[in-house]
Amino acid sequence: MNKNIHIQGCLAGKILWVDLSKKRIWTEPSQEYNNLTLGGRGTNSLIMLRNIKIGTKWSDPENLLCFGVGSLVGTMAPGACRVDVSTINIFNRGKGSANVGGSWGAELKYAGYDNLIIVGKSKKPVYLYISDSLVELRDAQYLWGKDVFTTEFILRKTLGKEDIEIAAIGPAGENLVRGSAIIVDTAKAAAGSGVGCVMGDKKLKAIVVRGRGKIEIADPGRFMTIVEKTYQKCKQNPATRLMRQAPLNLYADSEWEGWYTNMVTRNGQDDYWESTKRQRLMNSQNGVPSMIKGVRACYLCPTGCLPFLEIERGKYQGDKGEGFWINTIMGHACRLDISEPEAVVESWILTNQLGLDGDYTASVISWAFELYEKGIISQKDTEGLVLNWGNSDSFLALIKKIAYREGIGDILADGISLAAKRLGKNTEYYSSQIKGQPSIEPFRIPKGWALAVSTSPVAGRHLRGATMGSIRYGPKPRPGNFNSTDYVGQAQGVVWQAKTKELEDNLGICSYVSTWSGANFLEVSDLLELINSGMGVNLCEEDLMEFYAVKGRNLEKVFNLLHTNLSRKDDLPPQRFMREKVKKGPYKGVKMDKNRYNKILEEFYTLWGWDTQTGLPTKTGLISSGLAEVVEPLIQRGKLIEK
Amino acid sequence: MKIIRDNKLCYGCKTCQLACSYHHTRSFWPEKSSILVLRSPLTGKIKWSINQTCDECLNEIEPLCVKYCTYQALKIAK
Repeated sequence: MNKNIHIQGCLAGKILWVDLSKKRIWTEPSQEYNNLTLGGRGTNSLIMLRNIKIGTKWSDPENLLCFGVGSLVGTMAPGACRVDVSTINIFNRGKGSANVGGSWGAELKYAGYDNLIIVGKSKKPVYLYISDSLVELRDAQYLWGKDVFTTEFILRKTLGKEDIEIAAIGPAGENLVRGSAIIVDTAKAAAGSGVGCVMGDKKLKAIVVRGRGKIEIADPGRFMTIVEKTYQKCKQNPATRLMRQAPLNLYADSEWEGWYTNMVTRNGQDDYWESTKRQRLMNSQNGVPSMIKGVRACYLCPTGCLPFLEIERGKYQGDKGEGFWINTIMGHACRLDISEPEAVVESWILTNQLGLDGDYTASVISWAFELYEKGIISQKDTEGLVLNWGNSDSFLALIKKIAYREGIGDILADGISLAAKRLGKNTEYYSSQIKGQPSIEPFRIPKGWALAVSTSPVAGRHLRGATMGSIRYGPKPRPGNFNSTDYVGQAQGVVWQAKTKELEDNLGICSYVSTWSGANFLEVSDLLELINSGMGVNLCEEDLMEFYAVKGRNLEKVFNLLHTNLSRKDDLPPQRFMREKVKKGPYKGVKMDKNRYNKILEEFYTLWGWDTQTGLPTKTGLISSGLAEVVEPLIQRGKLIEK
Repeated sequence: MKIIRDNKLCYGCKTCQLACSYHHTRSFWPEKSSILVLRSPLTGKIKWSINQTCDECLNEIEPLCVKYCTYQALKIAK
């Protein structure tokens, strides 16, 4: 049963459609979709569900590349800047989704569009130019082959404008590397599900946006009252300072607990990284923190988490760029056993420059390093590269080989499943993949984190329910257990966190200012007041958490059930982490216990209202979350519990 | 009274620009703001300017750009 709401504010009002095959451009009103979903990712998911025929492959012209700007983006809601990018997941044919910040999304809304949907394929490289109602496909032959930084530079120079925002792909996306990202502002990556590869396959090099319009709100006075309250919370919260420099601030402390619980080392052989390496990478004298030249913020962000780094010594001297994340430490450092600060920063800059998904890149390369260690591949396979742990030169060389599909990079560019078939010898066992997508996540120590990553409908990433800051700082109370290493109570915490993420992705609110990071400036009650006053509706917290959030999750679940054979077995962690124990450190001997994991998985299914054993949705559950339209197709495929 | 900005403290979030537009229009309309913030993603540099349409937020207790700057980069010079 759908909620009968009529949104009266915060929206730009239109969905922009661009058919690259037919060179056709048109718009439709966005309100009907947004009334049903609250916007952003929810609207992308609904458009995909209604418009992509079963059997469509990621590389078919009929696949859609959907950009969904959150419904609060463009307003003064703090941290409202995020854009969801959805398409067919390149790794499994199911729902793909990535999320990105910056200023690009707000600019698209000021241009008049809540969503941008790309369909078809261009024969020649093009870029899309959007300036309010002027929408044009322009030749991009001269940009094809250029990296992301050069593309940004050339477009700004040739267009002669400083006030444009650009989303672009690099050589990786052009060369159809599965782990390709769409890079916004040269440094913020919509990464995961192969969204950059789909954009490259459509021969769409970049999307340039400039908007001069306005966003109106239903009740401006009431809206600004809650805006002021949340800004005050941000100013007064001691967590702000931590978040403002995260992750560098947290991880500069070599005893920070995240080093012990969340770092997977040497491609998953262990979950412990030695103290000397931690200190070498992150010490304030000559580690990564010493390279900070400033900190930047995405659009409307009161927290500001983007370090701008410049390498001032060694062979990468002079290279610079924005952003350095916990994922960079997890993937580019621990996973490869590289503690040389300049090399880790350089590798981060390089993945952005080439348009690669950093997690994918670190996961497939660390896998190759382990195969080399085990003698499954040799220098004959790597064009002479020595893939021993900690070898940053080889890591950097392989990043380039993947982006340009050279030598072994051509194999690694197709993802681990296909590469493992070519290499044989049980090589897939050494991989970290969820639903076919390479991952860098921990699966042994933090149980809720592992549950969230393993069950993510868009495969193997931690922003669909992994509990992080909510463990440490609140919000309190929230359901579940705050000790991340317990099994008991994790399902409750993960489902609550995943529901808040559903709302955040529909509204376009960054997780760092909402509940996930623990900064907690925007609690669910604050989101509710922003929605009611900004959109002119009258919802309650239960509507948000038990209807719109559940609907958002079900939309992606249903897409997967209709388009793939994914099932309960695909919600399990990789086998390695259920067999091999942590070898060193305070969690020595710990692994993921399969039986206990299955128990929390069943609790997780039950909390979403799905069948405890199969994880399939129920007829009543789907109808009550407003998805009656998918009941019949699911019954036809035997993928619905009829109760 | 005028608004001054400390470049070292500014993160380039553009909140001041949007808050200013709210003062002028009671909507969120950066084009009508007295403040313009431009960021170069390639260099990390931030350009900030304020034009003559700034009325120092008449009828407000304090200028909205100052009020909503959580980085404390904006101040009122007297």
